[in-house]
Amino acid sequence: MTNEEKLREIFVEALGIDINQVTEDLAYNTIPEWDSIAHMALIAEIDDQFDTMLDTDDVLDMSTFAKAKEILVKYDVEF
Amino acid sequence: MSFFKLNNDKVAVITHERTYTYNEISRVEFKSTQKELVLILCENTIDILSTYVSAMNSQHAVMLLSADINRELLEDIIIRYEPKWIVGLESYDGYERSSEYLVRIENINMNIHPDLAILLSTSGTTGSQKFVRLSYENIRSNAESIIKYLDIDEKERAIMNLPLSYSYGMSIVNSHLYAGASILLTDESVMEKSFWSFAKDQGATSISGVPFTYQMLQRIGFTKMELPTLKTLTQAGGRLNEKLVKFFAEYAKERDKRFYVMYGQTEAAPRISYIPFEKVLEKAGTIGVAIPDGHLEVNESTGELIYKGANVMMGYAECLEDLAKSDELGGVLHTGDTATVDAEGYFTITGRMKRFIKLFGLRINLDEVEKKLESSFHIPLACTGSDDKLIIAIEQEIFVEPIKKAVEDLYKLHKTAYKIKVMDIPRFANSKTDYMKLKESCL
Repeated sequence: MTNEEKLREIFVEALGIDINQVTEDLAYNTIPEWDSIAHMALIAEIDDQFDTMLDTDDVLDMSTFAKAKEILVKYDVEF
Repeated sequence: MSFFKLNNDKVAVITHERTYTYNEISRVEFKSTQKELVLILCENTIDILSTYVSAMNSQHAVMLLSADINRELLEDIIIRYEPKWIVGLESYDGYERSSEYLVRIENINMNIHPDLAILLSTSGTTGSQKFVRLSYENIRSNAESIIKYLDIDEKERAIMNLPLSYSYGMSIVNSHLYAGASILLTDESVMEKSFWSFAKDQGATSISGVPFTYQMLQRIGFTKMELPTLKTLTQAGGRLNEKLVKFFAEYAKERDKRFYVMYGQTEAAPRISYIPFEKVLEKAGTIGVAIPDGHLEVNESTGELIYKGANVMMGYAECLEDLAKSDELGGVLHTGDTATVDAEGYFTITGRMKRFIKLFGLRINLDEVEKKLESSFHIPLACTGSDDKLIIAIEQEIFVEPIKKAVEDLYKLHKTAYKIKVMDIPRFANSKTDYMKLKESCL
């Protein structure tokens, strides 16, 4: 599985949504499933699966799927 | 006489868009020849807040509901309680649209008790049609107690991002407007960047949160943020695990801030007790002492925590006729929680009266099991069960074996008497465990 697929799968699991909903511009608070509670789960799952410890700004900045990839690159995750 | 005093030029509300003085809060008119019911679908906007304040000042009864309430439930509530005005809805059968609200076309004779001020749902967004009836005196006395122990003055600027339809959110609004202080009104959560720029730019002096808020605050590294104007943190809306209480208590001590752990129930408008901030490390795990002018005691025979005070609700309402009822409780609230009290008068909740199961005739308190396991493992978990099985729901597979061992050690239970289920624990919007749903999905 590529990192992109892995991240997509994390979004599906943490937000409880369909894989087709995970587009580049899927954004925080634009669907009821991606609220602050789901965001916590999302961050925990990302940290867990990519073995990262995202810092404050990155947790708060991770507001779209595209942005998540951009942030993870900083943690040496390749896409 | 007006409930909230609005004739002054102090800052009342700050939104992301602008600042409003008390004088600038719009006066929304609710005209009728009799006392009526105003239904407000709450969002944290200046329009909704102004409507709430105006409705309170108009002496009509106000029903506060969450704007994302299930549509079917909302319809049942409208049919059952026949509000004269509905705020926050575009249209509804039998109602006419005017600029600020919908007005019922047909006139109906209403009989609403003159003391009745606010109706709050007993179960948040998932809801029932059962409401807590709060009087003006309930609201006033609780606001005054809160002002006293939190030491709220006119310079206070409280971030208000909890729903107004939730008793904790409502009490923040009431106590601050009552004290002539300011409210920073937003719907954003602490997970959003703009929440923090709003708090910093507007010089927030206090933040309030439920247990889940504090889990989020810990995860985002809140304790490393520079928030020089912030001086008070309050926590209510459920038990925060002791580890986190201590974490934030240490932070507050180091940074010269005040961290208040509080306990309450909607039935008490809602505040009942608090831990004085200088005692929070020493008394972590307790619910503290009664609020000023309130009284707590443990019933000797049942172990139930009993609260007495002027903020105890008038009673419940399950239909329109109930709105005519006067005070039924006489200032005494049976909390339904069991508790103990220490030598210094600090109370500790030990469980709920009704969350018991019987295994082989043995009474098992589900909350005690939960508390015990939480304190050993520090993971999200919840217990439910029937009279033949204890069910422990957890979210991480890796804890199944250690919890099995702990349960067998602690409670000497045979493996057929309990089950550990790995699942997403169902929660309400306020992050409290939804035990009804949990039970349904487990049994």
